Amino acid sequence: MYLQSLDPRVTRLHLPEGDMPPMEAKPALDQFETYEAFHQKKEGAAHTYVGPVHAPNEEVAFLFAKEQYSRRFPCVGLWVVRTAHIQVTPYAGDSENIYDMLRIEAPAEPSAEAVPYEIFHLKKRGKAHTHAGRVLATSYQEALQEARKAFGDKGPIVNVWIVKSKDVLQSAEEDKDMWTTIPEKKYRDAIAYKVMDKITKFKEEQKNNIAP
Amino acid sequence: MYGGGNVFEATKFDDLQAEDPVKLAEFEARIAGGEKIEPTDWMPELYRKQLIRMIEQHAHSEIIGALPEGTWITRAPGFRRKMAQMAKVQDEVGHAQLLYSAAETLGKSREQMLTDLINGKSKYSNVFNYPAFTWADSNIISWLIDAGAIVNQMANAKGSYGPYARALERICAEEAFHLKYGHDAVVHMATGTPTQRAMIQAALNRWWGPIMTFFGPSDKMSTHTETLMRWKVKMASNDECRQQFLDMYVPKIWELGLTVPDPKLKKNPETGQWEYTEPDWEEFKRVINGDGPCNAERLAVRRTAEERGAWVRRALLNPKAQYVRPLA
Amino acid sequence: MNELAIKDLLYKLADDQLILGHRNSEWTGFGPILEEDIAFSSMAQDKIGHSLAFYTLLHELGEADPDTVAFTRNANRFHNSQLVELPNGEYDFSLIRHFLYDNAEIIRFEMLSASRYEPIAKVATKLKGEVKYHVLHANTWIKNLGSSTEEAILRLQAALNEAMPYALGMFEPSAYEQELISEGVYGGEEAVKAEWLQRITAVLEKTALQLPDLDSITPKVGGRKGTHTEHLQPLLDEMAEVFKIDPTAEW
Repeated sequence: MYLQSLDPRVTRLHLPEGDMPPMEAKPALDQFETYEAFHQKKEGAAHTYVGPVHAPNEEVAFLFAKEQYSRRFPCVGLWVVRTAHIQVTPYAGDSENIYDMLRIEAPAEPSAEAVPYEIFHLKKRGKAHTHAGRVLATSYQEALQEARKAFGDKGPIVNVWIVKSKDVLQSAEEDKDMWTTIPEKKYRDAIAYKVMDKITKFKEEQKNNIAP
Repeated sequence: MYGGGNVFEATKFDDLQAEDPVKLAEFEARIAGGEKIEPTDWMPELYRKQLIRMIEQHAHSEIIGALPEGTWITRAPGFRRKMAQMAKVQDEVGHAQLLYSAAETLGKSREQMLTDLINGKSKYSNVFNYPAFTWADSNIISWLIDAGAIVNQMANAKGSYGPYARALERICAEEAFHLKYGHDAVVHMATGTPTQRAMIQAALNRWWGPIMTFFGPSDKMSTHTETLMRWKVKMASNDECRQQFLDMYVPKIWELGLTVPDPKLKKNPETGQWEYTEPDWEEFKRVINGDGPCNAERLAVRRTAEERGAWVRRALLNPKAQYVRPLA
Repeated sequence: MNELAIKDLLYKLADDQLILGHRNSEWTGFGPILEEDIAFSSMAQDKIGHSLAFYTLLHELGEADPDTVAFTRNANRFHNSQLVELPNGEYDFSLIRHFLYDNAEIIRFEMLSASRYEPIAKVATKLKGEVKYHVLHANTWIKNLGSSTEEAILRLQAALNEAMPYALGMFEPSAYEQELISEGVYGGEEAVKAEWLQRITAVLEKTALQLPDLDSITPKVGGRKGTHTEHLQPLLDEMAEVFKIDPTAEW
């Protein structure tokens, strides 16, 4: 016999009754690697960090990020990057500029080709990283140096993330229709629920001792 | 949804003796100054350990918390309720994902956290070990348990750890709909037909006990938490949260003509504090340690989901993958 | 426009979406990984939302309100394909069903967006973006899993073989098929099926999965005319369990 639940779905799972031996520990990578997601709230806005997803590859990471980070609050653009592809600086204090506190000596790699890198800044601890811009460089270190020249004086800057542009999977123009109907899903909006009329009517009936 | 039912380990002064005093002082000054701690900052081991435990328990509470309301997801009456119930239960899974991610930044893997949940090593909010007998039970949960969770979350959102604060901000934005939805459903039943009124009152009677223990044992029973309060890990005492909850929601329950099954429940006009029958903390302890009506089922469901989905995860595993902690 | 023809079409669309959305909501909290659980739940909600949009059109044509239509009819009055009422099985079957169903659904939506019957064209145009995403999700999963481990390939192949007769049943022609086509409402089920076959073949070719030999399969028809498997009535009873405590009450 199997477990009878108050939830008919659970009953249909045919769970065994009684004690089971402990589950074997999940093996490493059972939950895959993580990808970091950034969304663009409005046209022209900078992409902002929203959080990670666990996914087996970039394609699936994109689908997952779209669901987890834009199912409720629509956007017009989405980027995902494998966490391992992002390099990070240490964190400075809230009123400091991390660029001023790092020794960045990065001559160009003569053997390497200059490629674009995306730069993200954190302006205050507790907030989210936003896209500052793009630089050309032959290494992460050189990218950081170029970033300082290009965007490094708009302090305070608490933390910097650097990633090669080619490692960023970006949503396409034709993907935007994925988000167009989201604002219309009123059943998930707090403001769509208005109960005051019902409560007021009920109180009136109680006062007048009329059975509702 | 999360209740403060976890018990913090007593902070022994010795734990901190091993830490670098200069770094510890800098760390504490940062927190005292209102700055957040971010993942690669230096932090005392005790801070890391307690945060992992707290965030992990919150995450487990969400994924397990999806099950009592999930009980009624296929039976929600009418389109409006059906779609909203589906969205709400989905949100709980979504919140679990956000919270596991925050805990991962501190160094515990999701594999380990899920294993610990299923094997009973990690705890979750005790309230979800109780059964949702009827649709009315689901509505009481959606309203009052979520209300309790919001009280907790709003306090914790001001905590010191960046990733947790960011996750809570996201969660709070979605919870607003949960609360309105739950209240709306309860109001419809309480002001509806005699059958509906009887159902919702019966559900409230069943759930009042678990609701009263939602914020965890009373302060006089709790272990010392001064360090955790100084570090802005614990933000408000269990009793403070409970009082806030009672203040906000008991009047709303009474205005619907519903009764609370505690004859002692009243607000003392002089002290401004709510008085109530002390919950059964022995039962709380028994249930949270595994001996509740639904514990076995909740974990069996979670385990089955993991085991039956293993072939999917195995199939997509890239052997060259190398896990690194998420960044923020 | 023949109103009976339009209503028949609308019931078919809405019933499919309601039953499939309901089935897919059974996965919420039980998915193979959290992120996928969230994604699958979103699509289930979308489907219920789509059914509501089409039931609303029916209501505007004089049928009862959507709640009554969805929660009080018995199985013999439902026009969904048998495919969508089948139990979920494991994730292999549910994903295959999702793949087969949504690749047909998007074609209908594309056709209906250009329909000469304006109310349907409006709804289909608005909701097409959501279905496009459902197809993207299904195709991504089938491509990934269908070229992964032997275990996954065997499971998906078995599910594909099992589902195919029922999938072909989706294209069962309506009594009003010719009229719907000649009035420009949409291109008809034969056309949907032909295009569907091309699209699913294109995806399956990228995997180790084989399309079953369709000539040797008898489609499971009857759903469009109210003949269902033993699974539909229990599904409807469960769905309406609370509603039927008092159908006149406001919940």
